[in-house]
Amino acid sequence: MDRIVVIGGGPAGLSAGIAAAELGAPVTLVERNAFLGGRPVEENYASITPYLEDAAMVMGRMEERLRAAGDVEVLLSSEVVHAAGDGPYGLTIRTPDGERVQEASAVVVATGFTHFDPGRETQLYGYYEFPDVIALQDLEAMLKEHHVVRPSNGEAPRRVCFIQCVGSRDRQIGNEYCSKVCCGVASKEAIEVRQLLPDSEVFIFYIDMRMYGYWERQLYWPAQEEHHVQYVKGIVTEVLPKDGRLLVRGEDTTMGRPMETLMDLVVLSVGMEPSPGTRKIAGILGLAQNKFGFIEAQQPPLDTVGTSRPGVFAAGAALGPSDLEDCASSGGLAAARAVALWRQHQTVGAR
Amino acid sequence: MTTSAVNVILSRKERFEREPDRRSEDFHHHLFELEAEGELVVQRVAGEVVEVPTKYGIAKRIPKAHLWHHKSCGQCGHIPGYSTSIFWIMRKLGYDYLDPEDQTSCTAWNYYASATSNQAAQAAVAVRNFAAAYETGFFPLIHCGTSYGHYKEVRSELLHDAALRAQVRKVMERLGKQLVLPEEIVHYSEWLYAVRDEIAQRAVRDVCNVAVTVHPACHYYKLVEGDAIYDPDVYHGQRTAAVSGLVQALGADLRSYSTFFDCCGFGFRHILVQRDFTRSFSTLRKIEVMRAEADPDVVLTHDTGCVTALDKSQFAAQAHERNVGVPVMSEAQFAALAMGAHPFKVCQLHWHSTNYRPLLEKMGIDWRAAWAEFEEDAKRLSDGRQQFLTWADVDA
Ligand SMILES: Cc1cc2nc3c(=O)[nH]c(=O)nc-3n(C[C@H](O)[C@H](O)[C@H](O)COP(=O)(O)OP(=O)(O)OC[C@H]3O[C@@H](n4cnc5c(N)ncnc54)[C@H](O)[C@@H]3O)c2cc1C
Ligand code: SF4
Repeated sequence: MDRIVVIGGGPAGLSAGIAAAELGAPVTLVERNAFLGGRPVEENYASITPYLEDAAMVMGRMEERLRAAGDVEVLLSSEVVHAAGDGPYGLTIRTPDGERVQEASAVVVATGFTHFDPGRETQLYGYYEFPDVIALQDLEAMLKEHHVVRPSNGEAPRRVCFIQCVGSRDRQIGNEYCSKVCCGVASKEAIEVRQLLPDSEVFIFYIDMRMYGYWERQLYWPAQEEHHVQYVKGIVTEVLPKDGRLLVRGEDTTMGRPMETLMDLVVLSVGMEPSPGTRKIAGILGLAQNKFGFIEAQQPPLDTVGTSRPGVFAAGAALGPSDLEDCASSGGLAAARAVALWRQHQTVGAR
Repeated sequence: MTTSAVNVILSRKERFEREPDRRSEDFHHHLFELEAEGELVVQRVAGEVVEVPTKYGIAKRIPKAHLWHHKSCGQCGHIPGYSTSIFWIMRKLGYDYLDPEDQTSCTAWNYYASATSNQAAQAAVAVRNFAAAYETGFFPLIHCGTSYGHYKEVRSELLHDAALRAQVRKVMERLGKQLVLPEEIVHYSEWLYAVRDEIAQRAVRDVCNVAVTVHPACHYYKLVEGDAIYDPDVYHGQRTAAVSGLVQALGADLRSYSTFFDCCGFGFRHILVQRDFTRSFSTLRKIEVMRAEADPDVVLTHDTGCVTALDKSQFAAQAHERNVGVPVMSEAQFAALAMGAHPFKVCQLHWHSTNYRPLLEKMGIDWRAAWAEFEEDAKRLSDGRQQFLTWADVDA
């Protein structure tokens, strides 16, 4: 029998799977990892915005809801390797038990994003050169263990800074988009560092802070007013070693002058790029991608999930930078569209 | 307590391999396409070839032999031992070359320093030199960082601008030449990098206790950056491997400093219109920082403007008792010294302003004896017994 196949078990795929199953459709969810939860689980996020809830717990709740939602089959360590037809599709799925073909009346692609690799860019932040230059997700993993240290020597950092827009909003390297979440995530992590290490000083270097909607009140002002995180406008140009610490050089645009300051730990707010899985699945299903490799929605702004192939919908970060709220919303919409198609096929089949 | 998060972070950093980058264009494709359409002639890399890694993973092919030396105005004027050292190394390693007499300046100075001149004239001068090399069958090797950067920009303009190609073709027709572009634009320091192990094998002087800082030329790796050498084994692929790769191969003590990425101070306009700025930048921003942070015995670079600015700016700062006084030379001169070249007859260090003698002593070179030999030669020339020095004299 035809099912709805959701590819990707991150926040967006879980939302889509839950919604479709709760609407009464049979769902097969295909996840490449051996676990569900997507990036938040894979990268050991400590907590998520804006309420600083435990990430693993939030994702665990989603998984429970999915499994309780109805006719749901979860295929872990599995991948879609081939697609035949123009919708409905015969999808060849490679599972640990071998290959099988699944008829799908509709497909939801939720294959997500990958972090920008900070070694690739033209700016020189030295991620691979200096142990104490880390990325947002590295700090998340340390926060999760309640143990934030300088990787070089295991000592608690006294001065920590975040550098925003690493790999985003950068025409030079070709990523001319804002990754949407990193300002909020950096502010959240800054608060957590201040809570964990009250003697530390924490700085955020930014072009401009992008706090969508309520994050302004939930994260941005509390970070400054309650946790004394220091926001410095002006982008950092390079990070260099000096006297066993890190010399951060850049421009303070408010003061209108070059700036040099020593830090113990530098956190790169790396942005989002399409995951290798997103690129691959776009190839297999023949989906139009934009110039950055994200899957292109065909009729935005009011249809954010329809792709260039009939019966294939996309959700979450596979479509472009998105936060969890975006993922939940687009996952739900993709599920509704998929279920509508599935129903049509049921009616046609029954006739 | 070490934690799993720290271990994961550290293991992530163990080795960096840049993904082949979708954003940097591989010009080769375009080059050969235009050749197939009859728009231009490509001079191919031939003979024994070394493939080196560039910033975004596109392999660059460096021919080892049969090279046409596009010299630098600055070398000839200020640092004659620079080009001699390159020739000397090629001879020692047994690679043939041509030292042409019909090469012109690249005229990039004209363009970068004053912005006079025009696009077609600039491109035509570049192509004239490429055509001159092509006609000899020797492959062009560019000595000057500025010419190198400039020619790569010209290549890009020519590949993308049909109207410019038509203009340049017309000029070339008048000169009886073709519109030629080489398959690769190769800087001499890329050649040194490509043969660095051969150089190291031929080294006769131990340089392991020589502390070296490198100043990479802005025009080498900041113009058309995708086409500069980056090696995962040199600074984790995060800084250009030209010069530093050779220093490592020679076994010298390569040291880092915080103003690595800064200009040497030369800056084209500045050396012309604000020489004091150049001098203070060279000394305060580069040499003093290196001294304070790395205490080098020598600074190595690979562009004549950089050697000149860094070396010849120090005397003024010395008069003000600043913390300067580090010898500066090209990595070609340093490599030649390590391979046993004569410090005066080949490397011509007497043209340098900053005291290089302590460095020579550290390398085990008796500069007094060498100077006496050189004076002998000079005497023979001045009293007419000999007209000029030959390679045979150099190795005597
Ligand atoms: C450091 C960091 C912290 C963040 N913190 C927050 C936060 O606090 N609040 C917030 O709102 N947002 C946060 N985000 C953003 C959040 O992570 C994303 O919005 C969300 O993970 C995107 O969900 P997704 O399901 O679209 O993609 P992903 O999370 O990337 O999940 C995609 C899933 O698809 C799987 N997959 C990929 N390809 C295939 C394939 N071919 N076949 C099968 N499976 C495949 C992957 O294994 C993965 O499980 C953060 C982002 C970063 C970088
Ligand atoms: S969210 Fe902030 S850090 Fe991220 S790309 Fe946008 S502006 Fe830059």
